[in-house]
Amino acid sequence: MAHHVEGSRNSCAQHGALQLFESIEGVIPVIHSTSGCGVQHYLGVTRLTGGNDPFGSPPVSSSNIAEKHVVFGGSSRLREQLKNTVKVVRGDLYAIVTGCSTEMVGDDIAAMTKEGRDQDWPVIYANTPGFSGDVHNGYHLAVKALIEQLPGIWQSIGEKQSRLVNVWGIIPNQDPFWRGNLNELGRLLEGIGLVPNLLIGSGQGIASWKQLPEAAINLVVSPWGELPARMLEELYSTPSIQLQGLPVGSEAGILLRSLTEQLGLDPLRTELFINREEALLNHQFARLADSYYRAGFQREFALVGESSQVVGISEFLGKYFGLLPRSLVITDNPPDILREALISRLSAIVPGYDTEVIFSEDRSEITDVVRKGGAQLILASSLELDVAVESGVPFLAVSFPLADRIVLDRGYAGYRGATALLEDIGSALLAFSNGRYAC
Amino acid sequence: MSPLRAKAPRSREKRLDTLGAWLGPVSAASTEFAGDEIAQRIRTFSQSSHDDLLFALRILAGIRDSVTLVHGPRGCAAAGLNHIAAGSNTRWAVTNLDERDTIMGADSKLRKSVVALYHRYHPAVVFIVGNPVTAINNDDIQSVVEELREELKLPIIPVYVTGFSSRNAVSGYDTVLHSLLKYLSGHIVPTLKNETVNLLSVAEHPQDRKEAQELIEQLGIELNVIPDDSTIDVFRLAVAARASIPLSPDAPEYLGAILHKIYGVPLIDVLRPVGIEGTGRWLKSIAAFLGKKDVAEELHGSKAAETVRQLGDFSLKGVKTYISLSSANAFSVLELVEELGGEVAGLTITHLDRLHVRHLDELAARHPSLQIHVSDGQAFEEISILRKLAPDLYLGDSTHLGQVARIGIPVVSLESLAIVGYRGVVRLVRRLKTALANNSYGHSVGKINSAYQDEWFRRSHNWHIKQEVK
Repeated sequence: MAHHVEGSRNSCAQHGALQLFESIEGVIPVIHSTSGCGVQHYLGVTRLTGGNDPFGSPPVSSSNIAEKHVVFGGSSRLREQLKNTVKVVRGDLYAIVTGCSTEMVGDDIAAMTKEGRDQDWPVIYANTPGFSGDVHNGYHLAVKALIEQLPGIWQSIGEKQSRLVNVWGIIPNQDPFWRGNLNELGRLLEGIGLVPNLLIGSGQGIASWKQLPEAAINLVVSPWGELPARMLEELYSTPSIQLQGLPVGSEAGILLRSLTEQLGLDPLRTELFINREEALLNHQFARLADSYYRAGFQREFALVGESSQVVGISEFLGKYFGLLPRSLVITDNPPDILREALISRLSAIVPGYDTEVIFSEDRSEITDVVRKGGAQLILASSLELDVAVESGVPFLAVSFPLADRIVLDRGYAGYRGATALLEDIGSALLAFSNGRYAC
Repeated sequence: MSPLRAKAPRSREKRLDTLGAWLGPVSAASTEFAGDEIAQRIRTFSQSSHDDLLFALRILAGIRDSVTLVHGPRGCAAAGLNHIAAGSNTRWAVTNLDERDTIMGADSKLRKSVVALYHRYHPAVVFIVGNPVTAINNDDIQSVVEELREELKLPIIPVYVTGFSSRNAVSGYDTVLHSLLKYLSGHIVPTLKNETVNLLSVAEHPQDRKEAQELIEQLGIELNVIPDDSTIDVFRLAVAARASIPLSPDAPEYLGAILHKIYGVPLIDVLRPVGIEGTGRWLKSIAAFLGKKDVAEELHGSKAAETVRQLGDFSLKGVKTYISLSSANAFSVLELVEELGGEVAGLTITHLDRLHVRHLDELAARHPSLQIHVSDGQAFEEISILRKLAPDLYLGDSTHLGQVARIGIPVVSLESLAIVGYRGVVRLVRRLKTALANNSYGHSVGKINSAYQDEWFRRSHNWHIKQEVK
């Protein structure tokens, strides 16, 4: 039985599904639920990711069921809403997502979807009641719906493309830096001659999802990408390469080398590319050395975020930037079987140093852990700003929710992300040490 | 029978014939509301809009020293993050109901959560907020509440919002206020009347509340402000006050009516203090009621002169303005736009009911053809209307300003801009000036395509609004 959560940052399954569908160009979510679900999503998720609002409003179609639908069923209301959505809203694909109320009432969503298909409308559906889990589960449900139902609309499956890579596991908005992170992963893959299939974000529409079966490999960068990768392996025998976290800095080089080996790419080209990126990053480190020592950058830090973020950022800061990971809080509830591995990996970042690794999504528990840890730099969500102010230490918002940052194309993955991270952390530390940021 | 005996108040539709969907000239609205029978309208295509749960959370975000526990699935508390980002000090929690809980019930989970939150924060009050899941399951919140009130000696107030029983989110304000008053009515020793006066401020911008408060205090009146930024103790004073002043005639209507009906606290009938004349009228009506007429005349005279001086030669002459706001706000901003010399091209208001009849009648006499659109969140209709009217300026507070911007009209958001009182006029004018002086951002955003099919724009704006068949 799940516990209550204070200041929950993982919202619900319906919102996770909405996030995924909204991040694919041309996909129009059709919410079949009470009227407030879409507004909760807008206020509690979209608004707090620094600029990820595809429609300029909450999702543009919602059946807004009323009391009579709760009593007598809401299927006919969905039928009407779907028919009119196709007429009012431009879209390449309409994706029905349900809410708690319509699932409890037992509306037959599959039947309504089939009716729509019989009219030749491109419609899919996902049963996404909020009580079925959090955003991560919602991401799974939406991705699963796409993988399973798209071939029923567009049958043609093309030939395998030996260089095509599907990228999985970055949850739009839940990772506020998702666009930047994906762009950088795409750039790195292209750098060694691969063709990225990023699936979400700018320029990513139904065409990207149609070519899922054609990919040579799945690149999985968080525990949440494992399910779609496994589905594609079963359906289309696509192999996968699985990371526990975002590759930040030189970790990206390691990834590129293993992809090169696995896909039989030109190792010379890969080395050339990595060397150029490494040289640049090394120069970035060197250029900030004066500030680093003068302002006392080297310190213990606390990091609160999703597992892929915590792994990527803390390893980069610990293994390459001399910082000490004091308290690491993982907020995305990764499956139990992964937790031991995460703890042993993260505790070993700086040998001989005592790193505390905690799994929690509860604001008060996280606040206690961060406060007790006594770190001198807090990298977390805006929910932890209070404890930073109270502790009088510098703060940088890096995870969802973000109340005070605009994030459009910034990312912390890869080599460019490492540079961005150095800029942002360095700026936060300097502003603080100069007394211009009154924490 | 006391209206407070019920678990929740009757919805606004039932009490005031509130409509959430309507489109037509103000003269037709005025005629319709002059009759006895108001037909409810529904939409055959709709977009997300606020529900009573969200409006309940708005009030709870402002109650001091409180814990708000949403007893439901996790997403029902998502908006809490937005309130935290906006500075709410309320402690937000959700019981996080899963599939099993929706089948088996979750009383013990609720119980455990309240006890844990009580021991962590020792708050002055805990609110337990309903939602679609607990409403459909008919979870027994009440017995947990009563048991724990005894055990913890703590005010625990259940708020029975449902997300679907009213089509008008504003009903959620009534539900919270009903619950608060209901709790107090059983836990209050009747006291002698005190000399204080209530300022009824419901989910207002803090600066708006402060502005109104300062103005009344200059009349030499001591105030209890409820429910915004108040505590349970202020409510205890409020039931014995001399009178209540609403900061808006709409949102606090139920609160004012109950204070009057049950506790004999008269409600002063005033509109919203927006605009120079509007603020003056508000002050003078209050002063007349409380026997302070001269002080108010003098105060208005000096404040109005000072405001006019600060506005300089600013005028909205020739600027066709579209207004899209919550209902009471919209009618008062309309008056302000006209006071500034502007012309109102049309109105979108969140709901329309018997509380607005005087505005409808007054406007029907002056501008019978002025178009009124009733909608919360129905951006597709608004965009279609705006494309046709092509106003020069848009004032709004909805969640779809990003869509409006894409038509290229200068937009001023009133969501976090305080416009009450004399200072509010100055603040708004500063915003209007900047918006009108440079719309280059509007042009940049306007290069993004609209989300809608061209076919939709060829339809009448009210194509999807139908009379409800009962």
